[in-house]
Amino acid sequence: MSDETSQPERPEKVIELRLPSKLGYERVAMDTASSLARRMGFSNDRVDSLKTAISEAVTNAIEHGNQQDAAMKVVVLLTARKDGLVVSVADQGCKPLAQGSTTSSPTIEEAFERDDKGGWGIWLIRELMDEVEFSTAPSGGNQVRMVIHLE
Amino acid sequence: MMLEDELTVSTRERDGVAIIDLVGDVTTFAEEKINAAYREVTNNGARFVLLNFRQNDYINSAGIAILIGIVTEVNRNNQKLAVSGLSQHFQKIFRMVGLAQYAEIYQNEDEALVGLQKG
Repeated sequence: MSDETSQPERPEKVIELRLPSKLGYERVAMDTASSLARRMGFSNDRVDSLKTAISEAVTNAIEHGNQQDAAMKVVVLLTARKDGLVVSVADQGCKPLAQGSTTSSPTIEEAFERDDKGGWGIWLIRELMDEVEFSTAPSGGNQVRMVIHLE
Repeated sequence: MMLEDELTVSTRERDGVAIIDLVGDVTTFAEEKINAAYREVTNNGARFVLLNFRQNDYINSAGIAILIGIVTEVNRNNQKLAVSGLSQHFQKIFRMVGLAQYAEIYQNEDEALVGLQKG
């Protein structure tokens, strides 16, 4: 754990969302993050990148981590900092992320050969955000922490 | 609360090109509609297919997987595919994923109709 996580953020800088694990609710996280990022001064293309990254993180948490059990929550924390926005997305962890899924780089040519043509979510998050870190949440679930810097 | 299905798919033909209009969000819920529209134009003998996007604020990785499935079929059926109407952000995503190598990206429908039949 890095030092910064042990320092409490000023509470007015943190937004916490607890979303039902049902596909579609990732939109609520996207809308909230985009509204906050705009107010922080992020450009439109950075806001678009953030929206895609957060939608993929929350969708993963809903589908894989929480296995679409609507009673289980996906917890999203948005922390506004002077130099950027920190987003953490945690599920309740029925199913840990597959080994290698956090580092793999899919190609479209190999996707043509697969029945399941997906697997782009985590890669997109890594490509679009400035910092990305996968870990196990205190609750035992999967957690992804991503940072987008204000230029 | 409408959180799921926010996509309208329709098909039409213009200047020898089968156009599939996609208005709304392209996520996992879009699979049936997009595949059905593609099957329909293919069964009608389409050689040129244009995916014409409009107001697509939200295309996620599940949507990208659906589109890769269409590209797979297009290659198999010797058709030619183009896309138009994508926002700058999703044009970027299409390039990142590699979709742009298999479906030429045009700003709008008119440009796509000219470009598709040239090559």
